[in-house]
Amino acid sequence: MAISTSTTVSLPIPSSRREMGWGERVQRALTHDRTLGYLFLFPAILVIVGLVAYPFASAIVMTFQAKTAGAPGRYIGLENYRELFSSEQFLRTVMNTVVYTAVGVGVKFLLGLSMALVLNQERFCNNLFRSFLLVPWAIPTVMSALNWRWIFDDASGLINNVLVRLNLISETISWLSDPNLAMLSVIVVVVWQGTPFFTMSFLAGLQAIPKELYEAAEIDGASVLQQFTNITLPRLHPIFVTATMLSAILTSSAIQFVLILTNGGPADKTMIFSVLSYHLALGGAQRLGMGAAVSLIFFPVLVVFIVFLTRRMLREKGE
Amino acid sequence: MARKMTTQRRALKGLGNGVLVVMILWTAIPFYWMIVTSLKYDKEIYGYEATLIPQRPTMANYATVFRETPYLLYLRNSVAVAVGSTILSMIIAVLGAYAIARLNFPGRALLARSLVFTYLVPTSLLFIPMFALMSMLRLTDSLHGLIIAYLGFDVPFCTWLLMGYFKSVPVELEEAARVDGCNRVGALLRVVLPMSLPALVVVTFFSFTHAWNEFLYAYVFTSTTSARTVTTGLVNFMSQDVFFWGPLMASTVMSALPPVLMFLVFQRWVVKGLTLGGVKG
Amino acid sequence: MLTRRAILKHGTTATVLTTAPWWLVRKAHAARSAKLVVWNPAALAPQVDKIMQEQCYAYAKQAGIKENEIDYQIIGGPQLLPKVVAALEAGNPPDITRFIGGYAQLYREQGHLLDVTDIVNKMQKVPGGLFPVSLPGVMHQGKAWAVPQSVSPWTMVTRMDLLEQAKVEHPKTWDEFIEVCKKLQKPPKLTGFGLCLGLQNDTDNNVMNIIWGYGGKLVEADNKTVALNSKGTIAAVQMIADMYSKHKIIPKGAIAWDNTGNNKAYQSRQVVYVLNPSSIYAHLADSDKELYNVTGLMPIPAGPAGAIEELSTAEWLLFRHNPYPEVAKGLAEYWMAPENLRVMIEEGDGRWGPPYKGMYDSAFWKRPVFRHWRPMLERGRQFPSPGAMSPAAGEVLATFTIGRMMHRVLVENWNAEKAVAEAHKKVAEIYARHQKG
Repeated sequence: MAISTSTTVSLPIPSSRREMGWGERVQRALTHDRTLGYLFLFPAILVIVGLVAYPFASAIVMTFQAKTAGAPGRYIGLENYRELFSSEQFLRTVMNTVVYTAVGVGVKFLLGLSMALVLNQERFCNNLFRSFLLVPWAIPTVMSALNWRWIFDDASGLINNVLVRLNLISETISWLSDPNLAMLSVIVVVVWQGTPFFTMSFLAGLQAIPKELYEAAEIDGASVLQQFTNITLPRLHPIFVTATMLSAILTSSAIQFVLILTNGGPADKTMIFSVLSYHLALGGAQRLGMGAAVSLIFFPVLVVFIVFLTRRMLREKGE
Repeated sequence: MARKMTTQRRALKGLGNGVLVVMILWTAIPFYWMIVTSLKYDKEIYGYEATLIPQRPTMANYATVFRETPYLLYLRNSVAVAVGSTILSMIIAVLGAYAIARLNFPGRALLARSLVFTYLVPTSLLFIPMFALMSMLRLTDSLHGLIIAYLGFDVPFCTWLLMGYFKSVPVELEEAARVDGCNRVGALLRVVLPMSLPALVVVTFFSFTHAWNEFLYAYVFTSTTSARTVTTGLVNFMSQDVFFWGPLMASTVMSALPPVLMFLVFQRWVVKGLTLGGVKG
Repeated sequence: MLTRRAILKHGTTATVLTTAPWWLVRKAHAARSAKLVVWNPAALAPQVDKIMQEQCYAYAKQAGIKENEIDYQIIGGPQLLPKVVAALEAGNPPDITRFIGGYAQLYREQGHLLDVTDIVNKMQKVPGGLFPVSLPGVMHQGKAWAVPQSVSPWTMVTRMDLLEQAKVEHPKTWDEFIEVCKKLQKPPKLTGFGLCLGLQNDTDNNVMNIIWGYGGKLVEADNKTVALNSKGTIAAVQMIADMYSKHKIIPKGAIAWDNTGNNKAYQSRQVVYVLNPSSIYAHLADSDKELYNVTGLMPIPAGPAGAIEELSTAEWLLFRHNPYPEVAKGLAEYWMAPENLRVMIEEGDGRWGPPYKGMYDSAFWKRPVFRHWRPMLERGRQFPSPGAMSPAAGEVLATFTIGRMMHRVLVENWNAEKAVAEAHKKVAEIYARHQKG
């Protein structure tokens, strides 16, 4: 690790220090990596401590309390957790979150990879296509969720409308309230919105692969498929890992899609942990401690991802 | 051999074109429905009379948005919050990322790591204590409050992204500049930043769209009209009126425009920025 | 090229730039804290929102409060609760807001509310006094902790034109009702009964309403003994399930509806009946006169145990954090003064029923559409009846316990017995938790 090499700037000799004025001394101090490093990082540290660490710590404290809004909490130990683990709704939420995240991220990954491969081909107006296909990612999540809710609408929605017109169905399909379809419908929206993130990352990865590698492989007579498995895939591997993990974390903790599309229903079929937490804390029961506990239980799962991810990243960055 | 190669290539190109068409449709159809709904009268929006192509296109829904909500105010607020938080997080992130990437001091690795952790703490866990904190500082119901709240997300992410990019700038260039008499700040401003332009674009883009799109904080932290942003102002169409889809889609179209335009302009740099920052590391 | 001085300059500038906004912001806000903060949930009828806001400003003018000292917000229905919870936790709730029954007792129990006994006493002195049903939601040990705002029955909002066309009478019993729906509906364009079955308050109220007709109830009069699990409840749940799956008179999508789902279905002429307070009716007055004129507010069909409507009450809640309690109390009094309330309700096309008995003598309430209103008020009950509105009942309602019970049957094909038994257990847990304190 580079840290052990210590500072490269030589220390001023003691005798000269006495003669330095205050301003000069500060200036000199600023040339030290150590002082400058902390000075530069101070605002960032302030942000992290104030806006993340402190609220995070208070949330953890809250999970051990029976707490309603605006009243001091009463310490109840692990009671919130015990209640959660014995609740069928919570266990179902765990399953749903895993399915929702795994399927959502998996499909986004595959679609994103194919899109990136296609967009990496040479083509007329390619830049225009690239820009257009990435647009769903740029529009506010709330708005795409609302738009899709309208597309799925029973009577007036686009899908049922078209299907009825084509005489493919005689009875409208309740995309968001049919217990077998609700989760699928929500995932469709997640995929629509989130695929561009993968496309963008993978496209970036593809463009970083030197063309010479393919040229050399071609001379060696490697087929397109061989080139793909021997050059493209291994070269993209690091970005596969980072993109997948980032997306998994953000997908699982995002709240808007489910909140707006199904609100967790029907019968908790689409309930995921972020929405359950929101319901418990800000919904009718106003049990802030329970709400925080739900989110916190999922944190270790995320941490495993994160540790894996950071180790990977720091290694890549030559630490 | 070569012939086989070209047929393969041609087949791939054909397949690619096919996939491209499907993907364009998949991306475009929801947009189509959004725009078309915003251009229809209620009669064509609801029930089984709903039309796929508006028979009598109208701008009435747009007029409703401007008449019934202070939409321009929401827009101004969104711009203020997005620009404010982007500039602030950019300054903080550039300094922080440079320190972690280039300076040697104890605790550097720990800080780098904690940045990533920070980014990943779920918002659903934070927002209640955050709201209490904001109230304590008297920052609720204000744009300043939102700007500051968004830093909690933007700073870790931007620092992390820039950190990777700064490391890809050859140390030799910076050292050369320093030999020429530049100090650290000079080197950062004159060598590292200009070479990291694509990454700065990515970071700008990310924090801008995040602030523009954010919903939960904006929704819980503000209630006065004067501090509402477009995403939260729009939600009011959902419950004040029962027939809301027309104006709702009109305001959705309008609110989606700024980030989309920004995206269209910056797309090339975003991909480039990610290329060097994310992949090479 | 930069000198060392420049480093210093840049370093300080950067630090100042990044930390200065904190102080600037605090300064800007010091001036703000003294406003009268009103969070009024949207009434679902724009004309009513407008009248209430005008009355608030009229009150302010009379009380010598400047317009810029009022922070009046119309909050979307679903947004009110999360915002109030967050605001309470942060210690800056609004000065005054309006909630439906149940919440007043919850916040009273948590100690957030102002004592408004004096206002309620004055209201009792209005000729005729208050309906008794408006009191249990606000009274505790002889003191009042919220101001009764309205009492409204849940009625069968009915397409009278369709009934007339088919020459059918309004059904007296649920069995007749099912037959009428089957006769009138033309699926998929027109379905019989827009019963809300999503995870929303409307569902819990709608289902409980039907449960009473079959002799079921939530809790005994002692407010402790949970009584949900009974033959009556099971029969009612089964009847609703049959309406949904066997007779198909409820739209399939109803299990995903939010509170506006039934309104939307009715207003887009996709259902014959919905079970709802008069908000739909008042909304139509503003948005769709054609439908307004053919809409009836009819009594609920009877089950074996009779026909009992549910009564929804709403209250003004005044939070204690308020620096000027007198100002907020004045506003509540102003809004509830009979002459002002009459404007709000009659010009608002009957969005709510007034809590004053004496206000039903006007020409407005003599209109044919309201002919069933008084009898419904007389025999109506509240959600936890025979128990009273309590924090526990409020939580049952707000966590959609009854709606979840219906989803067990409708979505997961549980039998009614099992679903009711499970819901009974959940309700009992909630009541037990609140008794513990």
